[in-house]
Amino acid sequence: MPPLDKAQPQNRPFKQRKSFATRRQEVAGIRSKFPNKIPVIIERYEREKYLPPLDKTKFLVPHELTVTQFVTIIRNRMALLPTQAFYLLIDNSGLASMSLTMAQVYKEHQDADGFLYMTYASQEMFGHCRRSF
Amino acid sequence: PLAATLTYDTLQKDDILSDVTSRLWFTYRKNFPPIGGTGPTSDTGWGCMLRCGQMILGEALVCRHLGRDWRWARGQKQREEYISILNAFIDKKDSYYSIHQIAQMGVGEGKPIGQWYGPNTVAQVLKKLAVFDTWSRLVVHVAMDNTVVIEEIKRLCMPWLDAAGACPDAEGVGELNGCLEGACALAEEEAALWKPLVLLIPLRLGLSDINEAYIETLKHCFMLPQSLGVIGGKPNSAHYFIGYVGEELIYLDPHTTQPAVEPCEDGKVPDETYHCQHPPCRMHICELDPSIAAGFFCQTEDEFDDWCMHIRRLSCNRGGLPMFELVDTQPSHMVSVDAINLTPDFSDSDRLERLFDSEDEEFEILSL
Repeated sequence: MPPLDKAQPQNRPFKQRKSFATRRQEVAGIRSKFPNKIPVIIERYEREKYLPPLDKTKFLVPHELTVTQFVTIIRNRMALLPTQAFYLLIDNSGLASMSLTMAQVYKEHQDADGFLYMTYASQEMFGHCRRSF
Repeated sequence: PLAATLTYDTLQKDDILSDVTSRLWFTYRKNFPPIGGTGPTSDTGWGCMLRCGQMILGEALVCRHLGRDWRWARGQKQREEYISILNAFIDKKDSYYSIHQIAQMGVGEGKPIGQWYGPNTVAQVLKKLAVFDTWSRLVVHVAMDNTVVIEEIKRLCMPWLDAAGACPDAEGVGELNGCLEGACALAEEEAALWKPLVLLIPLRLGLSDINEAYIETLKHCFMLPQSLGVIGGKPNSAHYFIGYVGEELIYLDPHTTQPAVEPCEDGKVPDETYHCQHPPCRMHICELDPSIAAGFFCQTEDEFDDWCMHIRRLSCNRGGLPMFELVDTQPSHMVSVDAINLTPDFSDSDRLERLFDSEDEEFEILSL
């Protein structure tokens, strides 16, 4: 399946694919070109089973974009139904507060390398492995 | 006043036991009529989250029809409302919220019969099923994207606000008093009929483990008088959490297979197996799987306003991290997504490609 091949090199998290120095250099370069945009890395939770992978990992987003808008873009990209669970977690921890702007989130949570890291996931399903019916 | 029955830290052991046995306990069952006519006759192994959905909705129906202070006692005379509630969950195809109904409605959510559910899956299914329960007139609202929109809920629970065109700017019942006479008559008559709200908030409080910053907030949620508890679990095992003591969550566990129950000739239901009569299960709060749905019940608009006030106060606490956001109105971009220009700037990305090494992926540039 070609999409899988394409996704292969992205299986390792962005941070593990590049050294800190490279990442920092990358941010410096892109920020000088696009001072009005925020560099965001958005990755699928490694154990996510229900949401599709995104074809892009690196985004440049406007400062005034809200988290809601960003989530809407990603949800549309994946063609999710409004009833499907989708969560954006910042820096592998807390849920992104939907009413904040990306600039506010960036200010609070940017990584030492200058990127803002976000992970998306749906919800776990519950049941036992042994099926008996 | 509402009894905050879930503040187990301040309750005596007997009170806890009485609260626990009064909850409807839905477990795996076997030997029920096949789902869909030819499907499974037992939900052992797959039905635990569906049963937890039944438990949280069962608690809502108890609050709705019997009141929060209602207590179950073995062998007591069954009130008519109580029998109706039990009948709504009996394992047969035509009960409002039977395993049959939930499993079959789940097919529309992409879950074939026998598949595992998550908290959001069962919440979405209950929302659809509640429409047919004309007896309870519930509004089951599932707040997505960890955001609760007050205006959206008020419109759902008071649909006549939209219908009463004479009061287009009315935000709440209070403001209707100054409106045109005709509209007011309608409003007053219907004001008492705020449709009781079951608010389910599916969340993900971490990736592999719950983020500890949420724990205090989660505890506070159990203490709200409107709390219905939380559905979630440990990895692979769904539980219905009803409160906490110290650092331990108290829960009802659906993982016991009991034989399906048939209602008696006189309509009464043998109900002993629908109440957990042993001491409740406990687990450390840090073991909680991060995928949960928190539930709340607001019988009246006042109760909902009170809930909003509690949540606002909670989010001002410097202690914990808010689990969800409470906003007055739908963020406008939620409805006008097209306003966002998704087209990448090609000249820029060409430049970028030259800027960075070839194995590198490009940035995607978003513009408003």
